[in-house]
Amino acid sequence: MDESSNSEWNWDFYEELVDDVEENKNIIQCISCGKCVGDCPASKVSSFNVRKVIGKVLRGDKSVLKDSDIWYCYLCERCKRVCPKDNINIPLLIINLRNESFKKGYGPKYNDLRKYVEMSERFLKTGVVLDEPLGKKLPAERIDELNEICNFARIKYVFKASKSTTKSKKRKDKS
Amino acid sequence: MNTTNLALNLTEIEEMYPENPIDFFRDKKLCLFKACLEKYFPGVRFGIEDFLTDLELNVMTCTNQSCCSGTFFQRNLITRAQFGAINERNLSEINKIADILLFSCNGCYNSLIRGREFLNNPDVRKKTQDILNQLKNKNNSDNYPGKYEIVDDLKLKLVHDLDFFYLIKNSVVNALKYDLKDMKVAVHYGCHYLNLSRDKDSIDEYLRPKTKLEELITLFGGNPVDYQERESCCGWGASQVVIHPKEALKITFNKLKSAENVGADFMVTPCPTCLYTLSKPEYREKMQKWYGEKLEIPTIHLNELIAILRGCEEERCITLRRKTPRIEEIFEIITQ
Repeated sequence: MDESSNSEWNWDFYEELVDDVEENKNIIQCISCGKCVGDCPASKVSSFNVRKVIGKVLRGDKSVLKDSDIWYCYLCERCKRVCPKDNINIPLLIINLRNESFKKGYGPKYNDLRKYVEMSERFLKTGVVLDEPLGKKLPAERIDELNEICNFARIKYVFKASKSTTKSKKRKDKS
Repeated sequence: MNTTNLALNLTEIEEMYPENPIDFFRDKKLCLFKACLEKYFPGVRFGIEDFLTDLELNVMTCTNQSCCSGTFFQRNLITRAQFGAINERNLSEINKIADILLFSCNGCYNSLIRGREFLNNPDVRKKTQDILNQLKNKNNSDNYPGKYEIVDDLKLKLVHDLDFFYLIKNSVVNALKYDLKDMKVAVHYGCHYLNLSRDKDSIDEYLRPKTKLEELITLFGGNPVDYQERESCCGWGASQVVIHPKEALKITFNKLKSAENVGADFMVTPCPTCLYTLSKPEYREKMQKWYGEKLEIPTIHLNELIAILRGCEEERCITLRRKTPRIEEIFEIITQ
């Protein structure tokens, strides 16, 4: 049983998250009923527990960013649907926490995202995630639009990181 | 902005056209949103495209549409504003050429609905419009032909293929050449159809169980079976099957096993991403290795199933590119 006294509440972390994603302000309405945990696919196969995550955030416990738990969320939105409160958007909170985790360098390394390197590359070069899509390809001039939209996004960093990795690998192979 | 405005109002159409809801679509231009995974399951696209063409409806795809990018947003590779801008670019392009946008994929459908929901946040909306303005500023260059604005009251309305087929179910049944011969069918809706947040707008919608797939299966002459894991995830979980395969495939295994336990002949889903996870031979092999049991239940997309029942060529429904366990057996049983 996860018990806390009032003196343990610390709003700094919560306020940081709300500053970044305003919708997170609603997590304060959580009544700890546990419906989200009971219906969560990730909770059945890992130690991911939405109620604990929210509890940590409301106590200002940033260890939640280091925990591997948040990376087990299925983003299936079941918790959002079964939550008796109206506007608690747990999947959005998890995405926000993962973002903070990335920023602090705790998240998965780009190597762990290697499947996404290929997908990112294809999206930025062709506008689709898989090669040889069904039907006509996106015209070249439209692909520039997508690259402009994705400026400064991680999708470009993983793509660029993969290019430098490939180059250094080629150099190694040559030598 | 009311995001439900984006979804096609099915109740209104049923009231306007109680006899033949298909008549609502006669003078409309219908666009099929291109889902990336249709590459592996072309019958998902052909199944609905051929049917709408046979009904003499005006059906098209949009060349300027990009992927929905939901997968990148879910993995923190793009921001909400960038996700919003990709969505708005697609909506804007399709709005120019069509009245109705149909989705064969829960993920794409959820992406476009959710992308719009994010715009309710004034900060995200401003950032999204700023990104679109960047494209507008570069508009003189040949590389940037598009001018995009966030249009609150889009003419374009969105509908999931399952909702569409259910709405015009009489027309679907009339077009069938075969029936399901009382076969036992397990239905899998998929999380991003079951858990739509707009269903929370009314208590009736929230509490009402979703039964459209079961009702369609019954109309097709099949026997929908209840099973314990009916509402559980397929295991994809925004790429969990790639990142944590052992845990994710345990969910897939439990789902398929639960359907096999009640004697289902096959499983039907309205989502190609779920279909990919539930049917990929490599995943079936891993499940056998890790959980000690070979699961053989075939899985099929609703659009493919309708194509088979309409008597389409195998290449236009389940396709020869796909060899999943016992899928051809089901094809033979239906069409014999």
